[in-house]
Amino acid sequence: MQGSGRHASLYDSVREPADRSPLRGYGWPIIAVGVATAIGLSAFAYMSTADITMLYLIAIMVASLIGRGPALLAASLAVAAFDFCFIPPRFTFAVNDARYLLTFAMMFASGLVISTLAVRLRRQELRARNEELRARTEELRSSLLSAVSHDLRTPLAVITGAATTLRDDAGHMTPAAREELLSTIVDDARRLERVLSNLLQLTRVETGLVPAREWVPADEMVGAALTRLEGALRDRRVDLDIDPELILWIDPVLFEQVLINLVENAIKHGAPPFLIRAHRQDDHIEIGVGDRGPGLPPDACRLFERFVRASSAPGVGLGLAVVRAVVLAHGGTITAENAAAGGAWFRICLPAATPPVTMTAQGPGAEAAA
Amino acid sequence: MIGSVLIVDDDPNVRRFLRAALAGHGHTVSEAASVAEALHEIAQQVPAVVLLDLGLPDGDGLAVLHAIRPDSRVPVIVLSARGHEGDKIAALDAGADDYLTKPFGTGELMARIRVALRHATALGAGDEPDVLDVGTIRIDQPRHEVTVEGRAVRLTPIEFKILVALARQPGRVFTHRQLVHAVWGTSAADQSHTLRVHVAALRRKIERDPARPRWLVTEAGVGYRLRESANAPDGD
Repeated sequence: MQGSGRHASLYDSVREPADRSPLRGYGWPIIAVGVATAIGLSAFAYMSTADITMLYLIAIMVASLIGRGPALLAASLAVAAFDFCFIPPRFTFAVNDARYLLTFAMMFASGLVISTLAVRLRRQELRARNEELRARTEELRSSLLSAVSHDLRTPLAVITGAATTLRDDAGHMTPAAREELLSTIVDDARRLERVLSNLLQLTRVETGLVPAREWVPADEMVGAALTRLEGALRDRRVDLDIDPELILWIDPVLFEQVLINLVENAIKHGAPPFLIRAHRQDDHIEIGVGDRGPGLPPDACRLFERFVRASSAPGVGLGLAVVRAVVLAHGGTITAENAAAGGAWFRICLPAATPPVTMTAQGPGAEAAA
Repeated sequence: MIGSVLIVDDDPNVRRFLRAALAGHGHTVSEAASVAEALHEIAQQVPAVVLLDLGLPDGDGLAVLHAIRPDSRVPVIVLSARGHEGDKIAALDAGADDYLTKPFGTGELMARIRVALRHATALGAGDEPDVLDVGTIRIDQPRHEVTVEGRAVRLTPIEFKILVALARQPGRVFTHRQLVHAVWGTSAADQSHTLRVHVAALRRKIERDPARPRWLVTEAGVGYRLRESANAPDGD
């Protein structure tokens, strides 16, 4: 089931650099000064002291890019090494010529200046990135608002319209027409419920809800989802290829929603027979949902963004955004591609985890039959 | 088996819809909008079933359960929203008989009320039949024999215990904790992992397609239920 090359990368959010530990970055000044000293010593015969000063300045510049602390460390080390190795009397820390004190001071000064500039530059960059992030959040919020209000209002309008028609009917309506209006009310109420529950789940996961993980057999998770999908699937065929021994470390409620959304997506945009697979592959677990429909739309990379929907099928486009958020919250990845045999293929990869011994060693097989 | 139903919900429109639906199915209805009113009604009217919303203005619906259990055995069906699985488990472990996820259809509501009423009368009758029949599953308790569609299946002692616990009250949901207690006699939480594995094995023996169970269904985040008929009430 390899895709035809169209691959939707899902890591599109800007991440801020992780906080450095206070001691990280102090290895570089030592290395840089060490390298400068080594070059200076091996090429001492061909170099003037001015050249060696330049060598140390380069080392200090490199260290300054990391931060002020490393810059000062590099300057101190450079002064010490320069003095010890190159300044007469050599291989002592004594200084005969007072002019070298000025060289030392300039080494410190250049370290300070460059590191200050580097820090300022980095801060500006971070600020720019934050601003970009804020702008994107703002954009997202307004698109969320308009999409949600549209997708809540449309079914509400249908329900209100159909219900008032039924209430105000003075007995002229045919039984078939009444039946039709009643079905519309039920269908659109369900549509409302779907939009709301997806919106709720998305908000919860994205605001940092930690998944309530449990060990769940893969076939139980799929079974629970298919039980809830009975009404939506009707008699559409679903083929299953699930490792009966596979046990997942997941939040069963959230993951049930993932499967439901992927299958509902397949019902809406694809065609049966649908396929659900779950297997362990070396160090990860792969769960896939596929269909035999027309495949992914050309702008598939936007598939998992909120409120993007393929074709004009009804639905807010929230479903796949929920899928992605839940999978990411489980430390997994999700990709979408076109299957070789036709249709779309959604592939979830979860890090494999080892179930507790009670689930395997004392498992059902270990007992005597009744 | 038509009895009076007490609706406990603070939303007047929910009460109105439930009243109409229940009256249409021949139930007499009483109403309460708070914990205090609910307790008063339960003491005065002795309803046959209580529909209990968990979010009430003067307290948690759980307070009603804690106040009436274990003295009263009146069946209580909790009304709750999806995403509040923790609340459902708490209510079931506090003695609620079942739950309904809002929004629900009348078909589902009536099915749950039927199950609750039947279990209440069965409990009153006291003696339990030796042979339990649920759908195509037949369990002969004294002989420890189980057949599915007439075909004998061999269960381990633990699988047998799980199946009997579920089949004694078909249609009713059981939390993991309740099943662990029924099978091992303890309520050790870590047994719930083991329970899942035994249920998976049991499914492989009694279901044609264990990943698409017709009888032993999972209520994600809550527990298990043994259905009485292969077709779930679809909420219409």
